[in-house]
Amino acid sequence: MTLSTIKITQRDHEIAKLSAIAVALSLIEFFFPSPIPGVKPGIANIIILYTIIRFDLKMAIWVSLIRVFVTSILLGSFLSPTFFLSLCGALFSLFSLIILKNLNHKYFSLVSLSLIASLAHILGQFFVVRIWIIPHDGIFYLLPIFISSAFIFGLVNALVTNKLLQLNPKK
Amino acid sequence: MIKKILKSFKLIKSGDWFVIFMFGILTVTSAKFLWGLPQGKYLEIYKNNEILATYSLNQELKKQIHGPKGVTEIIIDKGKVRFSSAPCPKKYCIHQGWINKANQIIVCIPNKISISIVGSKKKYDSINY
Repeated sequence: MTLSTIKITQRDHEIAKLSAIAVALSLIEFFFPSPIPGVKPGIANIIILYTIIRFDLKMAIWVSLIRVFVTSILLGSFLSPTFFLSLCGALFSLFSLIILKNLNHKYFSLVSLSLIASLAHILGQFFVVRIWIIPHDGIFYLLPIFISSAFIFGLVNALVTNKLLQLNPKK
Repeated sequence: MIKKILKSFKLIKSGDWFVIFMFGILTVTSAKFLWGLPQGKYLEIYKNNEILATYSLNQELKKQIHGPKGVTEIIIDKGKVRFSSAPCPKKYCIHQGWINKANQIIVCIPNKISISIVGSKKKYDSINY
């Protein structure tokens, strides 16, 4: 029997666990009816926020990308427009998180982090839609709806994440 | 339950309030900028892509226009306008309903008649109502 040359660390286990939860939340969200088409709460982002606060940014990037890929494979939308929408949103919000990670923690909590990341997510998706899927300026009429939904769900996600952090104190 | 929610709001720090405030401004300005087209002042009627007439929207008027397929009737009613009858088979122009904002248009392709609302700028003084 050949020995595995890849050393699996505790960190990999954590990434796997968190990604599994994120994928499960994405699937729940997918089957949950949405009042307005396209407006989704993005509850998987709770896990990303949790990871970034409890662990570090690199791990959050892993969890986020694994979530995007695994969810699309499970739903059968891998390499379809939906997948690229999801991927671009995730990349934009991760990029904003990379920039914002060094905000002063005295004045900014994860509420700002969540709000700006959700805005970046929406703008990333809009970018793809405008460039590729619906190349027409008319879609900008929908932007206020999506910005306000990003605001509401960003705030709610931040508060839920905070509760989660309180319930699971650091070991 | 409500107490718990209020308690969770306490973790919002001063910088967060700033971000929330900026978000509110962004939402309001984007909505204003993207949705708040100015009210139209004048109606332009086109036949075969050539301007036929310009009317003020601030009146009540029924106007019959003769196109290649028959007579199209347009109703202006104090700031808004619609097609009320048209000879075309599918009646898309009538189903568009009332329009009242600047730059909105209704087009009837079979009868080659279209109307468009313009803002406060008067473009064609000589044929104004």
